Amino acid sequence: MSGPLTLTNDFVVKFANVNGSGSASANAMFAKSVLRMGVPVAARNIFPSNIQGLPTWYEVRVTGAGHLGRRGGVDMMVAMNPQTWDKDLAEIEPGGYLFYDSTKPLPASKFRPDITVVGVPLTAMCNTRYSVPRERQLFKNTIYVGALAALLGIEIAVIEQLLAEQFAGKDRLIKANVEALHMGRDYVLENHGPLGLQVRRADGVGDRIYVEGNMAAGLGAVYGGATVCAWYPITPSTSLAEAFTEFCQEYRTDPETGKARYAIVQAEDEIASIGMVVGAGWNGARAFTATSGPGVSLMTEFIGLSYFAEIPAVIFDVQRGGPSTGMPTRTQQADLLGAAYASHGDTKHPMLLPQDPGECFEFGALAFDLADRLQTTIFVMLDLDIGMNEWLTEPFKWDDSRKLDRGKVMTHDELEAGREFGRYLEVDGDGIPYRTYPGVHPNKGAYFTRGTSRNPYARYSEEGSVYVDNVQRLLRKFDTAAQIVPGPVRRDAKKATRTGVIYFGSTTPAMHEALELLEAQGQHVDAMRVRAFPFSAEVYDFIAAHDRVFVVEQNRDAQLRTLIVNEGDVDPAKLIPVLHYDGTPITARFIVKEMAGLLGGAAPSPARKTVPEAAE
Amino acid sequence: MSFGHIEKIGRRVIVLGGGNTAMDCCRTSRRLGGEDVKVIVRSGFDEMKASPWEKEDAIHEDIPILNFLVPKEFTHKDGKLTGVLFEEVAATFDEKGRRKLLPTGAPDQHYECDDVLVAVGQENAFPWIERDLGLEFDEWGMPKVDPVTFQSTRPGVFFGGDAAFGPKNIIWAVAQGHEAAVSIDRFCQGGDLTDRPPPMTNLVSQKMGIHEWSYDNDISNDQRFRVPLREKVEALKDVKIEVELGFDLKQGLAEAQRCLNCDVQTVFAEPLCIECDACVDICPVDCITFTDNGEEEDLRGRLKAPALNLDQALMVSAELKTGRVMVKDEDVCLHCGLCAERCPTGAWDMQRFTLEMSHASDVGGGACQAR
Amino acid sequence: MTYLAKPRLHHPSLVPNELGFTRRDYEGSVSTLCAGCGHDSISAAIIQACYELDLPPHRVAKLSGIGCSSKTPDYFLGASHGFNTVHGRMPSVLTGANLANRELIYLGVSGDGDSASIGFGQFAHAVRRGVNMTYIVENNGVYGLTKGQFSATSDKGSKSKKGVVNHDSAIDLVSVALQLGATFVARSFSGDKAQLVPLIKAALSHKGAAFIDTVSPCVQFNNHSGSTKSYDYVREHNESVNRLDVVSPRDPIHVDYAPGTTVQVTQHDGSVLSLHKLSAHYDPTDRIAAMSYLAQRQAAGEIVTGLLYVDPEANDLHEALETVDTPLNQLADQALIPGSGVLAKLNATLR
Ligand SMILES: Cc1ncc(C[n+]2csc(CCOP(=O)(O)OP(=O)(O)O)c2C)c(N)n1
Ligand code: SF4
Ligand code: SF4
Ligand code: SF4
Ligand SMILES: [Mg+2]
Repeated sequence: MSGPLTLTNDFVVKFANVNGSGSASANAMFAKSVLRMGVPVAARNIFPSNIQGLPTWYEVRVTGAGHLGRRGGVDMMVAMNPQTWDKDLAEIEPGGYLFYDSTKPLPASKFRPDITVVGVPLTAMCNTRYSVPRERQLFKNTIYVGALAALLGIEIAVIEQLLAEQFAGKDRLIKANVEALHMGRDYVLENHGPLGLQVRRADGVGDRIYVEGNMAAGLGAVYGGATVCAWYPITPSTSLAEAFTEFCQEYRTDPETGKARYAIVQAEDEIASIGMVVGAGWNGARAFTATSGPGVSLMTEFIGLSYFAEIPAVIFDVQRGGPSTGMPTRTQQADLLGAAYASHGDTKHPMLLPQDPGECFEFGALAFDLADRLQTTIFVMLDLDIGMNEWLTEPFKWDDSRKLDRGKVMTHDELEAGREFGRYLEVDGDGIPYRTYPGVHPNKGAYFTRGTSRNPYARYSEEGSVYVDNVQRLLRKFDTAAQIVPGPVRRDAKKATRTGVIYFGSTTPAMHEALELLEAQGQHVDAMRVRAFPFSAEVYDFIAAHDRVFVVEQNRDAQLRTLIVNEGDVDPAKLIPVLHYDGTPITARFIVKEMAGLLGGAAPSPARKTVPEAAE
Repeated sequence: MSFGHIEKIGRRVIVLGGGNTAMDCCRTSRRLGGEDVKVIVRSGFDEMKASPWEKEDAIHEDIPILNFLVPKEFTHKDGKLTGVLFEEVAATFDEKGRRKLLPTGAPDQHYECDDVLVAVGQENAFPWIERDLGLEFDEWGMPKVDPVTFQSTRPGVFFGGDAAFGPKNIIWAVAQGHEAAVSIDRFCQGGDLTDRPPPMTNLVSQKMGIHEWSYDNDISNDQRFRVPLREKVEALKDVKIEVELGFDLKQGLAEAQRCLNCDVQTVFAEPLCIECDACVDICPVDCITFTDNGEEEDLRGRLKAPALNLDQALMVSAELKTGRVMVKDEDVCLHCGLCAERCPTGAWDMQRFTLEMSHASDVGGGACQAR
Repeated sequence: MTYLAKPRLHHPSLVPNELGFTRRDYEGSVSTLCAGCGHDSISAAIIQACYELDLPPHRVAKLSGIGCSSKTPDYFLGASHGFNTVHGRMPSVLTGANLANRELIYLGVSGDGDSASIGFGQFAHAVRRGVNMTYIVENNGVYGLTKGQFSATSDKGSKSKKGVVNHDSAIDLVSVALQLGATFVARSFSGDKAQLVPLIKAALSHKGAAFIDTVSPCVQFNNHSGSTKSYDYVREHNESVNRLDVVSPRDPIHVDYAPGTTVQVTQHDGSVLSLHKLSAHYDPTDRIAAMSYLAQRQAAGEIVTGLLYVDPEANDLHEALETVDTPLNQLADQALIPGSGVLAKLNATLR
């Protein structure tokens, strides 16, 4: 045993709370205060499918090195939930710290000898100071933030500033909170010294912003020109539609009339949501829905219709685990196959795979151009980790000269000039036909939309050869898609290597950290992050250029690997799956452990003993 | 001309008259050497008796047709024809709506020519029939003929064709000959000539399958096709050369496709009708209406499309289940059979009507039964 | 059905409407339904109504679900965009289309299976949202296209063609629509165009959710004795509460019924619904009374038809959402994209 941990700008604090106790905003403020000191953080909610009473955790990784993936392990536990006390305590690294409400005396058996315990009588302090029960509950949270600030070296002025911003205009609330903050701080300064874990001012954040993926994607939809949103509440996608609503109210209200340049309908279910999206898309408006796996399952009939009738639609799938009660509040990347091949008949759909909120914004906007250009459903595959956690990410950027690309739409004037129109007619080899908006011209350009039983001029036909020609064209269109979706990003090892790794989405920060760790051990691996499906030729070239390629993803069935094998006719033996699927975000430690084992080298000795992942 | 009595004509020819004879005369003149050939007519262009296509063809052969000119005098010099003087007239209508051609007062017009052809058709004349045969003639010298039996006032003598009731076309002549033959047969058998045997009629369903008929029911939207003509230079060279080349197979079929199948009738069976309106909805020309019964005049106005042709009787069914009747205006029916195709119960059927004219001998298969 | 194209030739006295179109110009492809199917008559009524209303065909968007009934939009308004969506989901697609462009006229055609079974939920929700549309259910009491199974509107006790008795209670879409707040509710019969055509005209000029339940016999599977959706049964039990004339804002109102027997309702677009009462005390602007009257007459075994309820002051979904007047699908980029300046400000709040 080597005594209490001493770590600066590189440790993990985990808050164990009871859902509904108002701890979320206090915890977020804690994380943000670290950011304001110029030290990157990666914070994650681990919450139940429940509104009140069940355990919820908030994990803050303070990471001067900028590793935004989840690290695993806890250096300090803020144990505010008696229900999970034992489990929470067990999670603390040897030499770690425990912070708890010492109002109620606990027997020694409830503690661990190898950790430092910091007790603050939070309840007692609250009860003395406040009489309203709700106030007692809420200010308790602020008090522990003040206490933690003192313990960890966070500048109190930073938190005061945050409070001022949060309650701007409500001076009474600011004052009350600042008071509570100081109560906690003063208690610690009197009764405990600073801990071995310290936050020290740095310059590691830059101009990056700190935002949730759902919010970024909702904003992306605004910038992508979406005007119709139809949705049905489902965790973890709800906040995406809600963000879109708020941004629209703010940015899309006609200044003169006060009227809405958007229409948002909370539909009766996901089938109706996608139905409305398809209807609006058919009629020339940019439309989307936000949902999660169960919703996508319900939508599949319409997704097939969108595919065959060639109607633009955008679906944000914020992935979570399992059906029914499932693991709705846990993250997974397990909808890839379901989304890629959603529906009946020979169908496949482009997917965009953002790595963080920055790309959620970028792809959120881009998806609408792609949907219009390709006249099909575009999936934007977020997951709970990106969607519902605030991430440090590049600031949002927009090129004001950019135009919305509406794709091939034949206009009134073109029709009037006698241009030939066949709704499903291949015109220039890219597999994409022209469409018209309903009402465009008194006697030209109208067509009847149905599934597959029609010819290039949209007239009824059940001819086998007509069908075959059509679905062949759809394949050409898919090839076009591979060329215009965002291409993969390569990150080559410092030394030439025959080993590669492919990954995507929220795995990215953990993967990058893992690559650094591997490199430090002399394991060189070329890396490629895929950003979209269908895969461009670069992906297959990358695989061909390596002897073996790890495919790291967060699902049980190696879905990305399956897609690669299936679409690229790649030898499965070459692709080695690295799979993480317990519902928690993947960690660098996990990746390194798995890959190092398979790479044949000695497994890296973890900096500290790893608590088994499954126990979290 | 046909018999070779005439082989040539002057360079400048005036044809007087506006009937098909005039058209024959002017076009023949062009072929016999007439270069400047005109047709000059008393009446207006539209009132001319000649068939429109005959006029068309004449004009096509560079023959101008001049209207509203009444010939006044033939001019001549040294015993030789020099031309014709015409008075210009205009059509006016009196209070009874009768047309009259009255001089306009404009100066007379003179047209020079070498020959004039008076193409005013032919008259019947029977100076060669002795008047004491027991055959009566009317005030215009025409024989009195029974319009049904075609017998004259002298039993055993029958008339037909132009000789009976004045000039008509050959179709009438054939029909009258047919009727006269029946009379002659009766006469020879000593029967009553006015007792006419009825023609044989028959209606046969044309239905083969759900939408298959044993007649060609598709309707062509085409206008009448023009018959292709021989090059003008060629055609004018020889009076014996046929001008119309006729349709080739494809054109012929297309033209035949325009047939409205007037022999195929829509036949309605009241007890089968469930009044579903399917026939009403599909009929392209709005022939069929289900409505309350009424007086004909009132009914005609209440149909889906008003029945304006009073010469065409309405087809009115017996009362149907709902108390209404089915009324069909036959006037514009295309005989397309769509009503019967859409009828779920077969209440409408398309049936071919065949008419076998009455024959002189009721012993079937006589020589005149061309079957 | 017939496979010949209906000849373009038409009656020489067909009168063109204001737009210069004859009724025939509102037709579509030739129907592929069974001969005598009630649905074809409804198509004919739609054609007649659009013609009489002088509607520019290309300003109508026609949508349907799946079923024989849902095939019909192909058979009318050939110059309109049409959409055969998926089974039971036309209402949502129509809603989305309507959101995209509020200026078109939306006509939804559905069947009783499409709307009362698989699509019951969507039917209900589109109606309660007040989507500005005309929603016609071609109600034959069976699933025609899948060969005659009972549908949810089949009356309890009615017999299938094969003699099977239906034991489930029927869903009455008219009562449901009334309950859900449809602002125009009517019932009619495919075999009574004199009643149906004015109802469709009135529905098309209504602003809000207009619903017409049209009994439409399936000659193939539900036109036998024992059926309550056969031509004969409907004719025997049809109880019409009123006769409707739709007077366009242009035309002078001209009523030739005895005074006191006619009610006039002016709709949003200025058109006047002139209702000749056949049932003396029936007030089509009283929703609650309409519901109880329906329940009573239904219990007596009657099929109540006519304009059952209309709220001339109705609002639609766009009003509820307060959307701009310009159709959303026509908004220019600058009306949609807040631009880089806004992002810079937003970024600053996220640090
Ligand atoms: C998802 C789905 N399930 C089932 C079907 C099969 N299906 C086609 S039409 C139909 C019933 C149609 O009934 P209705 O709406 O009453 O129309 P009708 O044919 O009677 O006019 C069914 C069940 C389908 N097309 N899609
Ligand atoms: S045959 Fe054709 S035109 Fe004549 S009534 Fe029938 S449908 Fe009409
Ligand atoms: S289609 Fe046949 S059954 Fe129907 S109304 Fe016409 S005649 Fe009667
Ligand atoms: S099966 Fe019934 S509903 Fe379908 S087309 Fe035939 S008659 Fe009409
Ligand atoms: Mg049905």
